[in-house]
Amino acid sequence: MQRSLEDLISTRRVIVTVGCGGVGKTTVAAAVALAAARKGRRVLCLTIDPAKRLATSLGLKEMRAEAQTVPPELWGQPESTGGALTAMMLDVRGTFDELVTRHASSPEVRDRILSNRIYREVAGNLAGTPEYMAMEKLHAVRDDPRYDLIVLDTPPTSNALDFLDAPDKMIDAMDSPAVKAFVTAFQRGGSLSLSFLSRAMAKVLQGLSTFTGGGFLEQIAEFLSDLQGLFGGFRERASKVRESLAARDVAFVLVTSTDPMAVGEAMFFAERLQQNGMVAEAVVMNRVRSLPEQAPPSADRLAGILGEAGVEPAQELGNAFSKSWRDAQVWARRDAQEVARVARDFAAVPRHVVVPALDEDVYDIAALTHVAACLV
Amino acid sequence: MASDLLNRRFLAVIGKGGTGKTTVSASLALLAASRGKRVLVAMSQARERMSAMLETSFIGSEVSTILPNIDAVNLDPDACLEEYGMMVLKVRALYKAVMDNRLVKGFLRAVPGMDAWAMLGKTLYHVKETDSAGRPRYDLVILDAPATGHGLQMLRVPKVITEVAPPGLLRREADDGLRILRDPALSGMVVVTLAEEMPTAETEELYPQLTRDLGLPIGRLVINQVLPPVFGAKTDNALRAAAVLGRASALEAVAQVGAARARREALQRTMIERLAKLPGQKVILPSLAVDRLRRAEIEALAKGLGAL
Repeated sequence: MQRSLEDLISTRRVIVTVGCGGVGKTTVAAAVALAAARKGRRVLCLTIDPAKRLATSLGLKEMRAEAQTVPPELWGQPESTGGALTAMMLDVRGTFDELVTRHASSPEVRDRILSNRIYREVAGNLAGTPEYMAMEKLHAVRDDPRYDLIVLDTPPTSNALDFLDAPDKMIDAMDSPAVKAFVTAFQRGGSLSLSFLSRAMAKVLQGLSTFTGGGFLEQIAEFLSDLQGLFGGFRERASKVRESLAARDVAFVLVTSTDPMAVGEAMFFAERLQQNGMVAEAVVMNRVRSLPEQAPPSADRLAGILGEAGVEPAQELGNAFSKSWRDAQVWARRDAQEVARVARDFAAVPRHVVVPALDEDVYDIAALTHVAACLV
Repeated sequence: MASDLLNRRFLAVIGKGGTGKTTVSASLALLAASRGKRVLVAMSQARERMSAMLETSFIGSEVSTILPNIDAVNLDPDACLEEYGMMVLKVRALYKAVMDNRLVKGFLRAVPGMDAWAMLGKTLYHVKETDSAGRPRYDLVILDAPATGHGLQMLRVPKVITEVAPPGLLRREADDGLRILRDPALSGMVVVTLAEEMPTAETEELYPQLTRDLGLPIGRLVINQVLPPVFGAKTDNALRAAAVLGRASALEAVAQVGAARARREALQRTMIERLAKLPGQKVILPSLAVDRLRRAEIEALAKGLGAL
């Protein structure tokens, strides 16, 4: 078992970080990108809705949907290795608009979709869209000759499965025979075309209309019908991206904290990857707390030393230092248990990296550099 | 204490992933049940975790009683759509004709936001549900909402429907849902966060979205997993003491650990001060020194919630 991501960072074309919310996935993605840039690779770091502090830590005012170059002096480029670091945020809404513009069958259809109220409400929020758009963006940059490595931070999902399933779910829902049948049941621009339908179906639709209110089904059907024209292309590309994710030059990196729940999610995701013909190449345990094995210091002894040096209130501070140590010991033992469990349960994953907990949250370049150093 | 919160009929627990929404939902349920309220907990999790925390039987997509006074359900979009359709359309024949139709199901699944609305709609239906004597079936319904983005999306759906849908049953249902959600006597958002930089920033962004954009009342801000202070406000003294202790090589690690703790407590204080500026009542819950949360810990947290 390897203890570093060095070979992945040096050789792969795409690295995808996955894990559940709150484990520091985005930080690890940024650190991977930084480490690769320092090794002389030209890296694109693609993140979704990152915390503002992360942008700041990369020397950017804010994360934007356009590619932004991270100033080399910030990530400490060792003399002219040729590395470069570019950051880009996934703009779900913008990517969707772009797709509509590019694939609509005519300018009228394009305008109709873009100005549709339902579209405007849901384009950025529709379940599955962030995941789908991440796939789209990855597809768009996968062969971009300006980059050697693309680091993709997957959207924050309550469960990591969404990333693989959501795009298909979204497309299946929109492009299903059911929707096709409905769309043909409504004539463009208008009302229910009863002549098309069996009486039973007409009755069903009338029943449904009592629920939705007059005209609404027609509106939705029209919207879906316009969108459908786009989905042929979507489906094809989604399956291409999916296939390309199974390629040898793509590495999935599982990120987890020492929270047993997060570890469980990572396990679950490793299994799902395997079912999809993809491989988890590494597991990163983030924010692991550790402590040298030594007896807790006696509070009185500490207080004595502090009292002699004139630091007051000596006894109170002595107690506090002693208590801090004992707490830290509990956390360190707990984390060691989880690390051992991960070593056991993820034995099939060839690389295990432990990133020690830092004193504070990671949101400056120094801390990010520190995390990067742990990865290689 | 906490009765202003527990006397409401609907609470939505929302926050960033990893902040402890499920823990807080479970604690609220135990607290309300201990005060004799009949509670329903509704959640939407791919892998249901609350039963492990409360040491009960598995929580499935059908409402079941897991503890005295506590029912629970794990909302499944498809099951919700069917059930909700049944609740709303009432007349079984009509329901059968509409919902049993494969094409209708397929179509409804494709309607943007329908999944989220079916889940929220079903949950709100239980708020309004009455028994044969006309009394509410539940005194309190708790929604363990999906993480921030998806949770917000779910709470936004009724507003979107009232803006987009023509007058009709769907619109009336959404209007009625909004009426419940926006009434501070009936509903409250329970926002869960940590006293750390990123969750705090996300909470500051979430607040105006809940209140200004959606008009939803805040019930509580729960600041979860707060480390009990050992240094308190004496950060400077602590750091001076660490410098002194660090001179002895045997105590170097001790000095470092103490200094880190003092800095973390200082950061925590700063975050709590920032969070205190947000409107509404706050509750601080301590971080618990255990491997896995079990019933005993949830009960302890429930007490904490009740006392404040």
